[in-house]
Amino acid sequence: MGYSRGAAPEPLTEVIGEVSEDLISLGDVRAEYIIFTPVKCNSFIKTVETEGVVFNVKPIIFSQVKKAEEVALFICTAGPEAGERSRRYMKEGDLLRGYVYDVIGSEVVENAADRMQEALRASVAARGMNITNRFSPGYCGWDVAEQHKLFSFFKDNYCGITLTASALMNPIKSVSGFIGIGREVIYAPYNCSMCDDKNCLYRGRKSTRSEGPDTSCTGFRSV
Amino acid sequence: MNQLLEKLSTCVEYGKVDLKSPYPPAMKDQEGAFELTRQALDAGISPGNILEEALIPAMSRVGQKFSRNEIFVPQMLMAAKAMSSSMIHITPYYLSGETKRRGTFIIGTVKGDLHDIGKNLVSMMIEGAGWEIIDLGVDVSTEKFIEAVGNHPGAVIGLSALLTTTMENMRRSVAELREKFPDLKILVGGAPVTAEFCHKIGADHYSPDPQGAVEYLKQLS
Ligand code: B12
Repeated sequence: MGYSRGAAPEPLTEVIGEVSEDLISLGDVRAEYIIFTPVKCNSFIKTVETEGVVFNVKPIIFSQVKKAEEVALFICTAGPEAGERSRRYMKEGDLLRGYVYDVIGSEVVENAADRMQEALRASVAARGMNITNRFSPGYCGWDVAEQHKLFSFFKDNYCGITLTASALMNPIKSVSGFIGIGREVIYAPYNCSMCDDKNCLYRGRKSTRSEGPDTSCTGFRSV
Repeated sequence: MNQLLEKLSTCVEYGKVDLKSPYPPAMKDQEGAFELTRQALDAGISPGNILEEALIPAMSRVGQKFSRNEIFVPQMLMAAKAMSSSMIHITPYYLSGETKRRGTFIIGTVKGDLHDIGKNLVSMMIEGAGWEIIDLGVDVSTEKFIEAVGNHPGAVIGLSALLTTTMENMRRSVAELREKFPDLKILVGGAPVTAEFCHKIGADHYSPDPQGAVEYLKQLS
């Protein structure tokens, strides 16, 4: 939320604790990936194709995934309650708690995505394969409208997520994207200079995560 | 400035709601915005003066500190909460017409978009600057925006969008609003929106944060 460790004003820390516990106890968190193979990468037009669907991922992402032999498509959600409780508390006048539900909801889905990514890494490592970072439509030049292509691979309501005509996922606290898999791909510590989004909140900021290198530019690093 | 108003202004700025509220800890067991507003009114200070000298300046300081990254959203919300406890006493004067608002601000998130935290923050800060807020919610169609402007002549409107896909709906809503109400002032905002986009679609003002919108509105009123 912007505060450095220990600098959060009261009663924020307390509310964060209560809200985190509540959201985790709901057990609505879902994170799934499906692996598709083979993958065709076209370096002229910077596209990644699998099962006849062509993703127009643009140069930044393409450079990271071009050696992929397989691709894992994923969706993750914190469930509907994070957004709903946030809205309800805000409406009732408990603005702070409402906001904390919003922020923790993002954190929960981001963590779910991290865990899913780690599970994928471990499972493909057993076959001698590596993974790339994870990438999402709407980041690094990849048009968010390509969500429709991504969702064509998932059954309706998969993980309880639906996609609107405007490419918005419902529940709000959801993320989607893909991860490249291959013998020659690498997981790169994320570097902002790769991205052309000058307005990004995280631009030039070091990850606040304590474990390991930065996650990819799915923007889901701690707020 | 009157000491009571000064104290009230500090309570709003730091989010001290009422006597019971334990936050901020440094102001524990002291009276808060709720009690001090009552006292100010009982002491014969007009609601207009309370707003102009205590509440609005407090929220303006909050908005400025937020713009400068000196405080973050939680503190802004705590201030808004304290402000709203003051407004419990002030609103009746608005309703009776004794105290006037600076204007009416209509706000909504555009069609196809469900984001509302950013829009809510903007509403709170503009309300804190003395404006009446008509919040149309999320997923607002162009027709609904047009109807609201029709019902509130002279109002200013703000549109919010968080996805590049829904920015397209913003463009359409702005175009139709402009056609129906050539003199309407239109503000736009949301993470992917830029000043350049604002200009391109014919809106009047873009701001990356609530304070910029408040300052723009100040010039209008
Ligand atoms: C947290 C976050 C998430 C969270 C939570 C999302 C949520 N909506 O609750 C999670 C991790 C779930 C997420 C998911 C996704 N996200 Co996201 N996310 C963000 C992030 C980092 C912050 C958003 C936020 O909550 N900000 C805090 C609030 C308070 O700010 P705000 O709404 O912008 O409002 C402020 C200002 O904009 C302004 N303002 C707002 N409205 C108005 C109106 C007026 C009139 C004015 C004057 C001012 C104004 O004032 C407010 C207060 O300062 C932004 C990046 C960023 N820097 O903003 C990306 C961002 C919104 N996400 C983005 C994307 C693409 C996605 C995904 C599609 C990615 C994916 N494929 O999974 C999904 C979509 C989710 C869905 N349901 O469909 C893009 C959207 C742009 C685009 N390309 O379309 C952004 C902009 C990042 C980017 N690429 O630059 N995201």
